[in-house]
Amino acid sequence: MPTNPFMFMVLLVKIAFGGLIGWLVYSAFTSPMPLPYYFKNIFVRWRATLATMLGVALVVAVYVMLQAMAAGLEKASANTGDPRNLMIVRKGSTAESSSQVTREQFRLIPYLPGIAHDVKGRPLVSADVVVLISLPRKDGSGEANVMLRGISPSGMELRPQVALVEGRWFTPGKREVVVSGRMAKRFANFEIGGKFKTGGKELTVVGVTDGGNSAFDSEIWMDGDESRALFDRENYSSVLLRMENAAAGRTITERVEADKRLPLRALPEMEYYSSQTMTAVPIRFLGNLLATAMSIGAVFAAMNTMYASVGARTREIGTLRALGYRRRSILAGFLLEGAFLSLAGGVLGCVISLILYAVFYHHPLGTMSFQTFSEIVFQFRITPQLALKGLGFSEVVGVVGSLFPAIRASRLPVIAALKSV
Amino acid sequence: MGRGRFTSKRANFQTDLMSIGSFIVKNALRNKRRATLSILSVAVSLFLLVTLLVALRELTVPPEGEGAALRVVVRSRISIANALPARQRPIIERIPGVEAISPFTWFGGKFKSEEAMSFAQFAVDPVEFPRIFVESKVPVEQIKAFQADRQACIIGKITADKYKIKAGDRIMLSSTIYPTDLEFKVAGIYSGSIDDRNMFFHQKYLDESIGDPGEVGTWWIKVRSAEDMPRVVAAINRAFENTSAEVRAESERAFQLSFISMMGSIKLVVGLISTAVVFALMLVSASTMSMAIRERFRELAILKALGFRRRELFAFILAESFGLAMLGALAGVGGAYSLFTFGDIAKMTNGIFITFEVTHKIVGIGLLVAAGLGIIASIGPSISVARMSVVNGLKTLD
Repeated sequence: MPTNPFMFMVLLVKIAFGGLIGWLVYSAFTSPMPLPYYFKNIFVRWRATLATMLGVALVVAVYVMLQAMAAGLEKASANTGDPRNLMIVRKGSTAESSSQVTREQFRLIPYLPGIAHDVKGRPLVSADVVVLISLPRKDGSGEANVMLRGISPSGMELRPQVALVEGRWFTPGKREVVVSGRMAKRFANFEIGGKFKTGGKELTVVGVTDGGNSAFDSEIWMDGDESRALFDRENYSSVLLRMENAAAGRTITERVEADKRLPLRALPEMEYYSSQTMTAVPIRFLGNLLATAMSIGAVFAAMNTMYASVGARTREIGTLRALGYRRRSILAGFLLEGAFLSLAGGVLGCVISLILYAVFYHHPLGTMSFQTFSEIVFQFRITPQLALKGLGFSEVVGVVGSLFPAIRASRLPVIAALKSV
Repeated sequence: MGRGRFTSKRANFQTDLMSIGSFIVKNALRNKRRATLSILSVAVSLFLLVTLLVALRELTVPPEGEGAALRVVVRSRISIANALPARQRPIIERIPGVEAISPFTWFGGKFKSEEAMSFAQFAVDPVEFPRIFVESKVPVEQIKAFQADRQACIIGKITADKYKIKAGDRIMLSSTIYPTDLEFKVAGIYSGSIDDRNMFFHQKYLDESIGDPGEVGTWWIKVRSAEDMPRVVAAINRAFENTSAEVRAESERAFQLSFISMMGSIKLVVGLISTAVVFALMLVSASTMSMAIRERFRELAILKALGFRRRELFAFILAESFGLAMLGALAGVGGAYSLFTFGDIAKMTNGIFITFEVTHKIVGIGLLVAAGLGIIASIGPSISVARMSVVNGLKTLD
């Protein structure tokens, strides 16, 4: 049971709405209804119907796109990490970019028990340096912060999500970087052979990576020690390590927690990244707010259309009643008509958002993460559940919008209705 | 239905403009429910449009404080997240035209009980600070108390109200940037600046707690006059060229704009949505209008038979459609204007927006969209009325 009174209200409304839909379905099967009559009527007044349908379609499209954007933003971060990895950051830091691991602290880490080793017998540990660098955008619309990650040689093996798709990896000890393909589309000089300046020194792009829709798609990588020299950093930002198994991971976490020399915290890599999804919160909020406000407008429009429809069909309704159709058949019929009309609008809305999705598929969007203050690239993400929710929205508009006109239709006095012209 | 009334008034119809007006008004309000629903749907859409336009403006045009024209922000050339060495201060102070300089270091603190940070805190120089941020109003004795005590801080009124903090309270914040938790004594509450949400405290207090690394986040500077600004900016940039800590100095305005460029695609998306809202609005109102006219096809045919010209009929339709759209605009734009102007926007959005100014330009855009809507919605029905033959029109049963 929801404790919040507002949520309780929402629940009540949902129950009432569900009951209404249930009743509709029930009457569609039990009481005879001239279904073809209602269906054909949708096309009789096609201009008004089309306008209402398009209105509903736009409401659904806006809702779906904003939620798809929030989902894409969340996915861009949540989809990151390897379940076998542990990340070590400073206690109290909420993002890697504000974390610090000193060299003294780092020296103790490879000796922790339960760390997996690579084929050559070296512990799989990478000390990373994360630096935000301000770089010009490709379209000339100013600068944005890019997350540059300096990694140890085992850093790549620890992150199997990242694959090199073009060029080569950077050479340790040189001022070379690899950039993600998605970032390459958004920032200037991010093509192979391209050079850009930061910290007074020039860096050369030698390779393009694909992070498989993870947060690594929003990063550029270079050699860890070289980056420390370049940015004059004494310390590392974070440490990533591979655990032998889950039990070893728990031991490491406890050891790090208990060690007084280490003011650090170990957590699963995936957990860290799934906590970095706050940026999506305001967009989700905006999506819900806009969809609610727009659907109120759409309900008014649907009501208008249905009232006009009922008004124009007064004589037909009288005829149906005279033929023996009952009041509730008339009511259910008009509700079904409204529901069908808005369902068509909802489907159209989903199609519009799929088209937009296709348009933006090869043009990644980007915005500043509220947590790392660096640019994160993301894509719209439309899931079947999301499309279903959009359709649900359209049904609410259709049924609520046709409820009062349908009630009016079912209450028309038969004789007067038959007489009307 | 009172159709006879129009023909009986036919005699003075052409001479009396007032009765034409009342004819239009009566027609528009004949179906009160439809008129109300049309006005409401226009109103809701315009309310949304204004809200979106204001939000977009807030995101893309930063609010500007009074003192901003005389302020310069200096940050690391690498990025804002990179620290600057404290030793730069005397070098900047020597540049002619620099009146005051203070460090401005992001603390990133949050209350222990909270998941995320909800207001910004900066470490500053307590003596120079009031000289740079002239628009922040603090009672003199509170400023003195702030300067006298190393643990003291001053807090913006919005944040103080939100957490019910008053002068004399103690607050504890743990930094997400530095490995430290600090306890502060609230010396005063400031207000009157463009952003009354922040907290300011002593840079020295921060330095002490983290072993004085000799670093600050950014420098904020007040220049003597607006004419000095370009020269000071250039001099600061030049002073640290080819050092280990190159800087980017720029006016406060340019600095704020650079933050906005980081918002990236958000602007595009909000723009797309606004377009969708306007388009949906057009569709719905145009359809309602043509419904209202089609219902009256027979009456319009009678008017035609009586000798009214096409352009007169067009004028009737246009006036009605325009009037309904404008009433909707008044409700929607007016509602948005009064809500955002007289309401407490910081409270409504939980501090996400501090100003939410409905500018004259945005009001103008809203009214213009409504006017365009009224005109476009009347075109379709007018064409069908113009095309209809009187005989067919009289036959219409609807």
